Amino acid sequence: MFRKIGRSFKEAFWGITHHVAMVISTANAVTITLVLVSVLSLLIANISQITYDVEDDIQLYVKIENEVLDEDIQSIQNKISRIAGVEEIEYSDADNELDRFIAAYGEAGKIYEIYRQDNPLSRVFIIKVANGYSLAELSTQISTVEGIQSVDFGGATVEDFVKLLNGIREVGTIFVIALALLAIFLIYNTIKITINSRKEEIGIMRLVGATNSYIRSPLVLEGMFIGILGSIIPILLTIFGYNYIYTSLNGQLVSGILKLIDVFPFTLWVSLLVLVAGVTVGVIGSYISATIYLRYKR
Amino acid sequence: MIHLENVSKVYKNGTNALNNISLDIEDGEFVYFIGETGSGKSTLIRLLDGEEVPTKGKVIVNGTNVGRLRFSKVPLYRRKIGVVFQDYQLLKNKTVFGNIAFALEVTNMTKKEVSQRVREVLHIIDLDNEIRNYPTQLSGGQQQRVVIGRAIANRPGLLICDEPTGNLDPRHSKEIIELLQKINDGGTTVIVVTHDEALVENYRKRTILLDNGRIISDNAQGGYSHV
Repeated sequence: MFRKIGRSFKEAFWGITHHVAMVISTANAVTITLVLVSVLSLLIANISQITYDVEDDIQLYVKIENEVLDEDIQSIQNKISRIAGVEEIEYSDADNELDRFIAAYGEAGKIYEIYRQDNPLSRVFIIKVANGYSLAELSTQISTVEGIQSVDFGGATVEDFVKLLNGIREVGTIFVIALALLAIFLIYNTIKITINSRKEEIGIMRLVGATNSYIRSPLVLEGMFIGILGSIIPILLTIFGYNYIYTSLNGQLVSGILKLIDVFPFTLWVSLLVLVAGVTVGVIGSYISATIYLRYKR
Repeated sequence: MIHLENVSKVYKNGTNALNNISLDIEDGEFVYFIGETGSGKSTLIRLLDGEEVPTKGKVIVNGTNVGRLRFSKVPLYRRKIGVVFQDYQLLKNKTVFGNIAFALEVTNMTKKEVSQRVREVLHIIDLDNEIRNYPTQLSGGQQQRVVIGRAIANRPGLLICDEPTGNLDPRHSKEIIELLQKINDGGTTVIVVTHDEALVENYRKRTILLDNGRIISDNAQGGYSHV
């Protein structure tokens, strides 16, 4: 077992040292794609975090009709909590609402105490939503429940913002997948060239009874090495580049509401992702290349 | 050892390389296959080493139906036969030792076993003193000896040689054929495909003449004049 692994490493090392220029040029191309993978991963993770923060802050104010009796409140609450997309529901009576209203205006708010006896405010349900991109739909659904006067969700802007963030996240993910496929293709081609330059050797291996896996393993290791080599610069850029951006922006984007993810351990996880991506594309690219060459020859 | 039964081979491009061939070769025999270019000799070798499968008929070597051998079993089968080609096919970046050891390493032998066997083989092919030399430092005859050494390293029961003396002068050809005889004397079945009339004439063995994919004659006396 160890002898087999040792032999594969030795052969792979031989292949690399004899195709240095090819290995470096492919590693460079892989570096570029992995830098983009890293940038997009950092972006996607931060967008996910911001979306999560925004969604966490979104609340629906559901006003209850004045005619609804107090004993019917619980059954309305039950009906609303069963609607998909409602994460948490909290009841707040008119007195409580007045307290909030007064508290919101600080000292000046005390003048509203005069309404304590004849409170014009409605009883409300405060709802936390599961996600921020279906607020309008959710509001419509809730407003159809009997006893509900109106639903206030902060307008279409919040929903549009969440939709935009989700859109960026989805497009970014598609780009990451496309870049990974590109890196696989680059490594696939390099190993194909390596195989062509070692056709004679592979032919002799077959002649003396080498199995396909014996021939393939050093080539796969070579691809893996190219992947690792190509991920070094992206990893350094991930750690130091993100640290620089984070420090420059004081850890927040536009305003304090949109906070960036802390540098550590976040960048270490993204670096690990970049390394795993490098190794994976290296292994997949070289495996496909070697297998296609070996498959149709006895 | 070898049993060919109604073997035909038609390539994808329509070339009819072998046409209903049947023959038997016993254990320990030394057989020449002769014939003009395109007579089917090379196809026969490719069928015997499992590189090609017959379009029709059976190719049985040591009880193995080579034509029906599963893809994954072909490498294991190849370790039981040795093949030598005219164009040496040595790895230029490996020494004589490395080239012979190459055939043993694929079988996962230990380093010690490989080293011991390579030295035995070097003794058989009489190249003990060239162990550290690279192919480019050897004569054509010596290079062909190394190829033969690599082919017999796994102690195959069958050694197939395609024009083993094709690139050699008469003196080196003689050395090679004597080496093949020595290997044959050790019990290995040897098949030599050749154009070399002098060789067939001077070292008479069973000789099979192929023409247009058919066996024209099969003569146990050997020699060109008899076929």
